[in-house]
Amino acid sequence: MNEHALNRPFIDAWVREKIFLGLPFREYARSLATPMNALAAVILLFGLPVTAYRFWKGLGAVTNLSQTNPWGIWVAFDILCGVALAAGGYTVASAVYIFGQKRYQPVLRPAILTGFLGYVFVLVGLMVDLGQPWRLPYQFFLTPGTTAVMYEVGWCVFLYLMVLALEFSPAALEWLGFAKLRRFVGGLTVGIIVLGVTLSTLHQSSLGAFFLMTPGKLHPLWYSPFLPIFFFVSSITAGIGMVIFESTLSHRAFHDRLDPAAPVDMNKITLGLARGGAVVLFAYFFVRLQGLAGSGRWDLLTTGWGAWYLLELLGFILLPSLLFAAAARSSNVKLARAAGVVTVLGVVLNRLNVSLIAFNWNVPDRYVPSASEVLISLTIVTLGVLVFRWIVNRMPVLTEHPDWRGAH
Amino acid sequence: MDGHELLSPHATKAIEYLIAITYLVLFIPFWRFVNEAAPARAFNFSWFHAPEDVYLHPGHAWARTHGGAVAVGLDDFAHKLIGPLEAFQPPELGAPVRQGQKAFTVLAGGKSLDVLSPVDGNVVAVNEAARVHPGETVRDPYGAGWMVKVEPRWLTANLKNLFSGEAARRFLESAAEKLAAKMTPELGLVLQDGGAPVHGIARELDPEHWDDLVRKSLRGE
Repeated sequence: MNEHALNRPFIDAWVREKIFLGLPFREYARSLATPMNALAAVILLFGLPVTAYRFWKGLGAVTNLSQTNPWGIWVAFDILCGVALAAGGYTVASAVYIFGQKRYQPVLRPAILTGFLGYVFVLVGLMVDLGQPWRLPYQFFLTPGTTAVMYEVGWCVFLYLMVLALEFSPAALEWLGFAKLRRFVGGLTVGIIVLGVTLSTLHQSSLGAFFLMTPGKLHPLWYSPFLPIFFFVSSITAGIGMVIFESTLSHRAFHDRLDPAAPVDMNKITLGLARGGAVVLFAYFFVRLQGLAGSGRWDLLTTGWGAWYLLELLGFILLPSLLFAAAARSSNVKLARAAGVVTVLGVVLNRLNVSLIAFNWNVPDRYVPSASEVLISLTIVTLGVLVFRWIVNRMPVLTEHPDWRGAH
Repeated sequence: MDGHELLSPHATKAIEYLIAITYLVLFIPFWRFVNEAAPARAFNFSWFHAPEDVYLHPGHAWARTHGGAVAVGLDDFAHKLIGPLEAFQPPELGAPVRQGQKAFTVLAGGKSLDVLSPVDGNVVAVNEAARVHPGETVRDPYGAGWMVKVEPRWLTANLKNLFSGEAARRFLESAAEKLAAKMTPELGLVLQDGGAPVHGIARELDPEHWDDLVRKSLRGE
C-alpha cells in the first residue's frame, strides 16, 4: 500500500487504465456493443438462469441423465474434451523448458492461459455435474478413497490447477505491476513447469483409466487396456492442434495487441508444430492399431460401429497426420492450420466416442442430451471465451511486457 | 468381458509384432518426408522470378524479415525493367524511412530513380557490396543483392500492406501483363515464348521516355 492508495483520482485512473483499457467508461461500454458480444449476452441470458435452476432443482429437472446413463455431455464434453484441449499448456511448456525449443516461447503464454482457463471451466463443468460445490474438498480431507481412480483425478486437477495459476501468474503480476512478487515467481518457473508436466501426464492418462472399469459397457472397438496411453498420447496431439488453432485465431483477433517491435514469425512456429503433430499422430495411429490387435476383434470392423471406428482412426488420426506432414514439407501454413482443426475435432470425437457414443452402446435406453444440458455447456464455453478475451486484452499474453522482455 | 478374451495369444502377438515393425519401417520414410523440407518454392514467370518468402511492395521493393531487422531490395521485375544499375545511393545509417516514401535511389542509363520503402523504421545497415558494384545486384536480387536493412517500427501493420504468397504472385502477374500490353511485335520482344527479354526492357520499349515508365512502376502505378 502506498500513500496514493486511498487517493480517489489515483484509483479512478488505475481502473480506467487497467479495467477499461484506458477509455472513459462510456466509450468502453460503447466498444462492447459488437455482434459477438450480443450473441454471448443472449447465451448467458438464457444459460445462467438454467444453470441456477439446475443447482436449485437438481439433475433430474434439467438433464436426460439416468441410473443407466449417469454421465452426460457435461462429463463427456466439458470435462473430458476440456481437459484434452487444455493440453496445449503442458505440451508447449515441456517443448520450451524441458526440450529447450525456445522458438516456441511466443505461443507459451497463450497456451498456458488456454490451459488454465480450460481447467477452471472443467472445474465449473464438474461442479455443475456434481452439484453441492462445497463438498468438492471432501475427497481430500473427509472421505479420501485412496484406491479410487477418481481420487487420483481429483488430486491431479486440484494440484494442476494451482500449478497452472502459478504458471500464468507472471502475466497477471506484470499487468498489476507487482515487480517483487513477479521476480519471485519467475525464479520458480522451471520447477513449476516440471511439476505441471508431471501432473498432466498423470492426469490425462488417468481420465482414460476411468474407462478401464467399464469393459462391459464400452464398445470392444474402443475398450482397450491401453486406454490410459491412448488418452495421454492423444492429449499431446490435442495440445498441438489447439495451440496452432488458438494462436492463429488470437493472433488474428487480437492483432492490435501484437508487439510491432518484436515481430513473431507465426508461420515458422506453426510449421514446427505441424512437424511435431505429424509425428505424434503417426505414432498414435499405430498405438491405436495395437489396441485393436490386442482385443482381436477385427470382425467388428465390418459392422456399423466398425465404420464409425474407422472414421475416427483414418479420418481424424491418420489423415491429419498426413496433412501435417504435407504441410511441413511444403511449408504450407494454411494446410497446417486445417490439419490442426481436424486433429482437435478428432480428439473431441474420440472423447465423445469413449464416454458417450460407444458407451452403453448395447443398452436400449440410449442417452441424448437435453436442450438444457447443451445450453449449460454452451454457457460454460461462452464464459471461457469471454474471460480469455478479457485477460488477453489487458495482460501481456500475446506480447511481452516491455519491462520483462526475455524474462522467464 | 464379452469380446475381450484373447482366443489365440500367439496369433494376437504376431499381429502386434507386425504392427510394431510396420510402424518402425514406415516411420523412417515418414520422418524423412516431414523433415526434409521441399526445395524452397518460388514463383517462376517467363523472364523474372520471386521467392515465396519475401513481401512485395507495389513499388517493386521487396522486404524480408531477418532477425529483428528487415532486409530491403529491388525485385527481379524492376531489375529487368531498369537494366544494369550504374549506382546505388543509399540513405545514411540511422535515417528514418517510411512505408511508401523514398528509401534509396538508383542510377541507370544516366537517370536517377527513387525506390520506395516497403516498411517504416530506421536504416541500420547498407549493403556495401551493392554500393561498390551496383551492376551485380541483378544476379541475386533477393539474396546478395539486398540494398538496405531497416529496423522496423510497425512491422505487423506494415506487412499487412504488402503482397505475400498468392497475392504476390497475382501482383507480379498483373505487372507483367501491363508491361506485355505495351509491347508490340515490331519491337521483337515476345515475353511468353520469345525467350528472355532484353535486360533493360524499359529502354527498349521507349528509348525516349523509358525513365517515366520505370518511375511509374516504382511508384506502384
